[in-house]
Amino acid sequence: MRFRFCGDLDCPDWVLAEISTLAKISSVKMKLLCAQVLKDLLGEGIDYDKIAKLTADAKFESGDIKASVAVLSFILSSAAKHDVDSESLSSELQQLGLPKEHATALCKSYEDKHSALQDKLRQTSLRLGRLQSVSWRVDYTLSSSDLREVNEPVIQLKLQTQGAESGRTETNVFSVSADKFRVLLAELKQAQTMMNTL
Amino acid sequence: MVVLLNSLSVTDCLNLCHRVVDGFCGREPPRRADFSAAWSLEEWLQLLDSLAALFRAAVGNNSSDEEVSAGLADVGSSQAATVLKVLRARQAEIRRALLDRTASISCATLQDFDWQLKLALSSDKISSLHTPLLSLSLNVRENEALRPVTMEMNKEELNTLISSLETANKVVLLLK
Repeated sequence: MRFRFCGDLDCPDWVLAEISTLAKISSVKMKLLCAQVLKDLLGEGIDYDKIAKLTADAKFESGDIKASVAVLSFILSSAAKHDVDSESLSSELQQLGLPKEHATALCKSYEDKHSALQDKLRQTSLRLGRLQSVSWRVDYTLSSSDLREVNEPVIQLKLQTQGAESGRTETNVFSVSADKFRVLLAELKQAQTMMNTL
Repeated sequence: MVVLLNSLSVTDCLNLCHRVVDGFCGREPPRRADFSAAWSLEEWLQLLDSLAALFRAAVGNNSSDEEVSAGLADVGSSQAATVLKVLRARQAEIRRALLDRTASISCATLQDFDWQLKLALSSDKISSLHTPLLSLSLNVRENEALRPVTMEMNKEELNTLISSLETANKVVLLLK
């Protein structure tokens, strides 16, 4: 069987196995568990004490707790990754043996956070360097050893970028002659126009 | 050393002067083989140096025709006139080359740049990414070596960069 939330592939065996673990807690508790896992996926941090309390009456051992967090995390992030709507996700989970109330509870939480989850995935996708900040200063050169009367502006630029491999912030300072600066700005605007049409 | 020009015909002299300016502006400098005059290598190099220095000083100090002619006192009048003609014809070009040199006095200067607009379709995190990205590569000349500065910007980052440069540009336009 192929599942849309697995990217049109077979469901991994471990996910299949842990779905039955999820069925051991009540659907209300599972919904609260989903909320915690979603918080983790959205980078807001997860409250492990709360999770331990939620799963206490089902007599979950630490292995079961880890497995249920992992399986929920897989289902939610994989469904968002492949842009599956909540109805299809619900029916697919039921085919895999998750009780109907559980599937509905999970899909309700998923539907609420669907776009936030996708934004987060988009943000964390591979990027080769980022621009963090721009500072500039315009100088007016009056005279130089080469030319007695220069009277030309020159632009000092400081660009803070995040490197591709290291992820460290690099500071680049350099000067740009007025002519080059004009060309640079014009070409960047040209690229911006093209970007906006995409 | 400009006195060596006397052994050239006026056409050759005109040619040589133009090629010297070419070399000064970053294009191909004159080749000794093209000028068959009987100069030693040392004389040839000295002649090139002094011609380049003469053009640079004349444009750099904004000299009048009389001031330039004074420096060409040893040279025959037709050759001196040729040098002056080339100087006036290519003054703007020489000035631009001098401006470039002035701009590169600072320790790091922008030499050139390239950009590339890409549409990221998919990633390991999300199957439909559909995000436009602009790769900008700046070649910065620092201590005679070229150092590439590369970055990848999304729409927001590019907007920040452009609006920042735009405010700087307004000031530059005021100075013109």
